[in-house]
Amino acid sequence: MVVQGIRKVTAGQNGVGAFILQCKRLDFHYCDWAGSSKGMNSFIRNHLQKFASANPSIEISISPRPNRHPVIRGHYINGREKAICVRNLEPNQVLKKAELLRDASGEKLKSVKKPVKSINESVRGVWSPYHGGGMHV
Amino acid sequence: MKRLRIERWSGQLLTPRTRTRTIQPCCLRQQQQKLASYTARSYSSSSAAKHPSPDDELVFEDEGEHPELSASDYPSIPSYPSPLPSAALESAKLAALHARLGIPKKLPLQTMARTLVDPSADPHKHFNNASLAQLGGSIMSYHVSEWLLCTYPRLPMTVLFAAQYAYSGPKTLQLVAREWGVETAAAPGEEVDPGLLQFSKLEPGTKYGANREGGTVRPDSRSYYRRGISSRVVYDDEFGDAIPKLKDQNEPLPAELAYSNFVKAVIGAIYLHSGAEPAKTFVKRHILSRHLAMPGLFQFKLPVRELSRLCNREGFEYPVARILSETGRLSRHPVFVVGIYSGKDKLGEGSGPSLQEAKTRACVASLKAWYLYSPGKDVPVPSDMESGKGAGERGWEPVHIDMGEVIH
Repeated sequence: MVVQGIRKVTAGQNGVGAFILQCKRLDFHYCDWAGSSKGMNSFIRNHLQKFASANPSIEISISPRPNRHPVIRGHYINGREKAICVRNLEPNQVLKKAELLRDASGEKLKSVKKPVKSINESVRGVWSPYHGGGMHV
Repeated sequence: MKRLRIERWSGQLLTPRTRTRTIQPCCLRQQQQKLASYTARSYSSSSAAKHPSPDDELVFEDEGEHPELSASDYPSIPSYPSPLPSAALESAKLAALHARLGIPKKLPLQTMARTLVDPSADPHKHFNNASLAQLGGSIMSYHVSEWLLCTYPRLPMTVLFAAQYAYSGPKTLQLVAREWGVETAAAPGEEVDPGLLQFSKLEPGTKYGANREGGTVRPDSRSYYRRGISSRVVYDDEFGDAIPKLKDQNEPLPAELAYSNFVKAVIGAIYLHSGAEPAKTFVKRHILSRHLAMPGLFQFKLPVRELSRLCNREGFEYPVARILSETGRLSRHPVFVVGIYSGKDKLGEGSGPSLQEAKTRACVASLKAWYLYSPGKDVPVPSDMESGKGAGERGWEPVHIDMGEVIH
């Protein structure tokens, strides 16, 4: 037995085969009394059902949070969560925030500097000084 | 080889709704309920791991004669080791998981809930995922192995085992299930949300299968016997590991195995409810689409000798190492680039700080170039012929499978 196999694991590439939406749960917290929840309450009454049926892969829970500002909290597959306070927002603006949380990956926000990020090897290869003729000085 | 008629087995694996005609799960639950009405707390989540016999905690009808009875001694509402199938329809977590995976609508939520119940949580075979996982595991390993064999027809057997492990081993399947957003329940029980993975967790510090006896299913299970590669193909599992003879399905198990059984059970459930083609598509999209750097799986012991034996077997000229370029031979950082030539053909090249090192690397590069030959990523595989599409109008063309590694 000369050549041995080394045990490794494959790396996931979300979207190459199947795409898994990274937001797995959205919590909507509202207050019945406070005025800052007015838009949120209207959103829950009029828009949320449509939003939920358009995004079946997100678990949606609604719970009161008395005497506090309304909050949308997104839970992600990588274990992180993101919360957005939607006080004094109109229902449409609340919908925008919910969509923002839905489309987020759950990662911390960071500036993307390189246009392409890949785990595959470069097709061109790394430049080597020992190949390709060389320059005669 | 005789073909297995899996569709004949599938009666016991169908959903509660569809199987009512044959085995009547309602009656099963009623029997369990009758049993549970005589017992107190025998199936609560705290005692689920132990599974006490009903006689242990009998509550007698003449309870009035016991003055010091506390509230917990009264018969409680009968509970089951896993959530009822009806609870699956009300779980938002489960419905979200079903939608997230893009599973066909034909697969009902009750079956989806069943795939999440491990035998260590519910020992009843009609309510756990053992049978689904057995079916799904063999379907998955079939698709992975046929794809590997057709895509890399020259892989050595050991590397083929490693590649199979990389694609469908328990470690990978655990990653897959976690990337699907599946979480585990703290302890199994009836009250658990059906969208959580339920199994008895192994206590920290304990080793899985440590006190298991009985050895393996191999006939030559003595420790001093040599386990050759050919015998692994025959006796062992798809990763070349020996299969343990006795396995208690109800013992606590590590999360890795519970997650992998869940993924297998999902594939098995898709196969039963939607058919072979959707199951294959599911395996392709979720398992085979993952990235694996195949050259990293090789570990050579004697690459120079192996290359010369390979050239001999294939009828190539004897391989010769030649320096292509070098720099700083007398300095602290010399670099040599060596190419391996067989006649006029260059088999491979490598660079290193010494001539020997560069030659060895060049041999490794040549061997990998040989073994990793691939006709392309979308090679027709045998299971293509089972679907209506087939391999196009031309029909089936036999795939090239090489004889594999050199044995010397």
